[in-house]
Amino acid sequence: MNGKAGWLLSTIFVIGFVLAGCGGSNGNEGGASGGSSDAAPSASESGTEGSSGSPSSDDHAPVTLKYTFWGSPNEKKIQENAIKGFMKKYPWITVNTQHIPDDYVTKLTTMAAGNQLPDVGLLQGDQTLKWAEEGRIYNLMDFLNDDPDIQLSDILENTQYWWADGKLAGINGALEAMAIFYNKDVFQQLNVPLPPTKAEEAYNWDDFVKTAQQLTIDQKGRNALDPDFDPKQIKQYGVMLPTGLYMTAVYANGGQLVNEDGTKFMLAEPPAAEAIQRWADLINKYHVAPSPAQQKNIPGGATGLQTKKVAMTIDGQWSLADLGVSKMNFGIGVLPKMQKEVTMTLGDPIVIFQGTKHPKEAWELVKWMMNPDSTLELQSSGLWMPVLKKWYQEPDLVAKWAEGNSAHPEGYEDAVMNNAFENGMQQPIYYVRDLPDLNAIIDPALDNVWSGKTSAQEALDGIKAKAQAALKGVYTKPQ
Amino acid sequence: MRENGSDRRAKPGKKWRRARKEALFGFLFASPVILGYLIFVFGPLAFSLGISFTDYNILSKMSFVGLANYRSLFDGTNPFFYKSLLVTSYYVVLSVPLQVVFAFAVALLLNRSIRGKAVFRTIFFLPTMVPVVASSVIWLWLFNPDLGLLNQVLKFLHLPQSQWIFSERMAVPSLVLMSLWTVGGTMVIFLAGLQGIPKHLYEAVDVDGGTARHKLFRITVPMMTPTLFFNTVMGFIGSFQVFGQAYIMTGGGPNNATLFYSFFTYREAFESMRMGSASAISWILFVIILLLTLLIFKSSSLWVYYESEGKA
Amino acid sequence: MTGSKRAVNIVLYVVLIGGSCICLFPFFWLIRSSFMELTQIFEMPPIWVPRPFKWSNYSDALTALPFGRYFWNTLKIVVLEVSGTVLTSSLCAYAFARLNWPGRNIIFMVILSSMMMPGAVTLIPQFIGWKELGATNSIIPLTVPAWFGGGAFNVFLMRQFYGTIPKELDEAAFVDGAGYFTIYSRLMLPLTVPPLIAVGLFAFLNGWNDFMGPLIYLNDDHKFTLALGLQLFKGTYNAQWNLMMAATTVVILPAIAVFFLGQKYFVEGIVMSGLKG
Repeated sequence: MNGKAGWLLSTIFVIGFVLAGCGGSNGNEGGASGGSSDAAPSASESGTEGSSGSPSSDDHAPVTLKYTFWGSPNEKKIQENAIKGFMKKYPWITVNTQHIPDDYVTKLTTMAAGNQLPDVGLLQGDQTLKWAEEGRIYNLMDFLNDDPDIQLSDILENTQYWWADGKLAGINGALEAMAIFYNKDVFQQLNVPLPPTKAEEAYNWDDFVKTAQQLTIDQKGRNALDPDFDPKQIKQYGVMLPTGLYMTAVYANGGQLVNEDGTKFMLAEPPAAEAIQRWADLINKYHVAPSPAQQKNIPGGATGLQTKKVAMTIDGQWSLADLGVSKMNFGIGVLPKMQKEVTMTLGDPIVIFQGTKHPKEAWELVKWMMNPDSTLELQSSGLWMPVLKKWYQEPDLVAKWAEGNSAHPEGYEDAVMNNAFENGMQQPIYYVRDLPDLNAIIDPALDNVWSGKTSAQEALDGIKAKAQAALKGVYTKPQ
Repeated sequence: MRENGSDRRAKPGKKWRRARKEALFGFLFASPVILGYLIFVFGPLAFSLGISFTDYNILSKMSFVGLANYRSLFDGTNPFFYKSLLVTSYYVVLSVPLQVVFAFAVALLLNRSIRGKAVFRTIFFLPTMVPVVASSVIWLWLFNPDLGLLNQVLKFLHLPQSQWIFSERMAVPSLVLMSLWTVGGTMVIFLAGLQGIPKHLYEAVDVDGGTARHKLFRITVPMMTPTLFFNTVMGFIGSFQVFGQAYIMTGGGPNNATLFYSFFTYREAFESMRMGSASAISWILFVIILLLTLLIFKSSSLWVYYESEGKA
Repeated sequence: MTGSKRAVNIVLYVVLIGGSCICLFPFFWLIRSSFMELTQIFEMPPIWVPRPFKWSNYSDALTALPFGRYFWNTLKIVVLEVSGTVLTSSLCAYAFARLNWPGRNIIFMVILSSMMMPGAVTLIPQFIGWKELGATNSIIPLTVPAWFGGGAFNVFLMRQFYGTIPKELDEAAFVDGAGYFTIYSRLMLPLTVPPLIAVGLFAFLNGWNDFMGPLIYLNDDHKFTLALGLQLFKGTYNAQWNLMMAATTVVILPAIAVFFLGQKYFVEGIVMSGLKG
């Protein structure tokens, strides 16, 4: 039987090969029709070709677009409302929204393989530039260059995904930034001064550690400064750290993931390793922050603060959406300062996929989603920050989203909005090539740092060579 | 898998006609699954084998790279290949025997004439029905080093406590422990198998004055070997492809301690976007499982008893 | 003698009840959490009984999404999947277990080997295949394969059970002039009810809980299934655990009922009565 089985299997392999060859050439056509990156200029061609004057004219052929996105049921509702507004303004355009609840990348990649991509959609940031390079995304500069309504300079630099000079893959749906969020009642109960909100007054590191120590309480009610403090029986932690976003600390200490041209791995260099060590010390030396293991049982964001599992969190500004509806007495502070006062900014872009038959209308939709007037509920709920500069600069526009609602308490404008606007630094996914590969090397090493098994310097030195070998450079941005 | 000699006694002409008819019907009855294989399975398998020799990343065109994907795995250019192979093998070796024995024991227990049998069976199957997203929350709490129930119990018994899935050494054993809790499917197959054992065999043991142990080892276990065989083979195939726990609970950590093969494949395919390499990884696993399965099949004639063949 | 038997019984029930507690625990936890405020779920040490019972979680969860529609969509898929699997896997297995035909064992191995490939790499070619057939965004890719033997797992499972039936039975029927299909449907099918029930249960649970298939193949909200709907509560930034637990409870109740009804077929004696009939 074995002989026969072997024969049969090998035959199948051979046939498989032939078939795969055919499949391969199909794939090629798919790729080609999607266009390589050189095909991007065709965007503007087809764009102008499809243009039929201003939105006010009536003689438009009906156009149907597909828009994909993710998000909670609430986000879903608001985004769909925004789209409804768009269809009202452009009655000849129908937008079919497709909400993808989970595994967004898997679903979108599969759609790409089947040439069934939507026209417009959110895309995960760490995938975007690769998709752009492979010619699956339009260069938004082709639209921006000729658009009378909006210019590149109107858009926050930190929300832009560039895959080469002059090639803009996408603009964030929203700007997100890191800050401190805290439960005011806890501070007041323990008589600890509230965290500063202005960047100039930010905690220095020692003050931050001390504050966190005062806020960390064991089962017997002793804080972490007490000599009898029992780190095994912690009831309330001083601060919850987003260990996955350790670059927040690295930036604050003047460190980098890679050097400017992406030729050198910088995380093992002193400023970066020291910053990571500081965070690890909060966990293992001072016992004021839960380890990743302990974090698994502490609800993140608003719930952790509300239940007083943690007194402060370092988190993204999106947590405001939950805080705003929590009825909790919460406050916002700027991140502690190490070398510099900076905050890390994040966000996933909305892109136009190659293969759309209506790039012009797709661009109108992107513009619509970029305009906070159409998605104001998302901004005022605290989930999104605008991507247009004037919404940070003009007081009447700022008032529209960042004032007078429960998600944006006093101090918000200094601690998050202005800080992100003035001191924001993009997360590495905006510029480092093949970041998932690099992370696959770094993250396991950092597991041992957060658990206190090794020092940050030791762990990072251990993977330095491997990480250096995995570097593929950076995407160049326009200067 | 032995030759079936039952119709040797028939006359040559008749025998030939019958054999031909039997072959015809055999093929006919099996045709749905054969067609299903050709339509739904063969193409994708062939496709994946084909792209394992290319640098296909799903979005790009593919170009032929020969054995480069395989080479970069075996020569260690990809730093995770051997690690994930090791981690997965460890999981398989630990989990398959435990799962099979445990499920068999539970099935034997639930096959006795006990009160509330239906309720007990349903209860023991419950963990299999709770979606992983929900059950993983519970297990994360059970495993929590400070507050988790497992450590609380150990502490109460004055036994050393563990870091469970958060320790490199204990992560895989912890996940094996968790997998024992969802052996409901295997148990159901054993239960179904236990129904097939003719009662008169047990009655014969009673007549001979045999004990419960005789019944178990002389009748139940031998009669259950086809089912045991099935569950072992499926256990192997399933454990080699363990995915959900790593995907949802550990993310492959700590320090790659649970970087299971399927999780590694998924990451390679959809995060690093190297479908060519992911396909090569999958085909290596395919060959490993196939060889092991063939080995188990070969050995089966030594320990699996088929009523349909045993009496031929 | 009776004393020791009693002791054995006591041990037996202690083990059963202990095991039940372990198995019931997650379910209890699920239900407990489904009645809680989000903030209570993670309270440490844990709160065992929600106070107050937040019934509104159920109404909130069930009205947040069109669960009625999801239920019908899921039911359609499950019915087609279970019937296809049960009908075809048993017939195919019969051919592999009890009929002699050339290539039988090799073909069986090849089909079995299809289970040995990680799904991550066959997902895309399968999708492309269905797309070429114009069948994406429909339940066809989710249900039609079930009608082709229901997959290697089920065929293998049934094949093993056919192996436990003495060959003399078909021989006798054959001598009496029964055809192969008659032997299968009149003789073999009644003898393999327990494993077939198991196959049906697995097919049911597969269809009921499958998340990846519907995610990949269905595009329109109104075609979504329950398993897909559950994921919605797992928001990008913060999960609404209490609502998800409530929805999960509602979703798994039918599955529990189906299992409870199905398991009664695993009762000793069915096979024997079949033999006598």
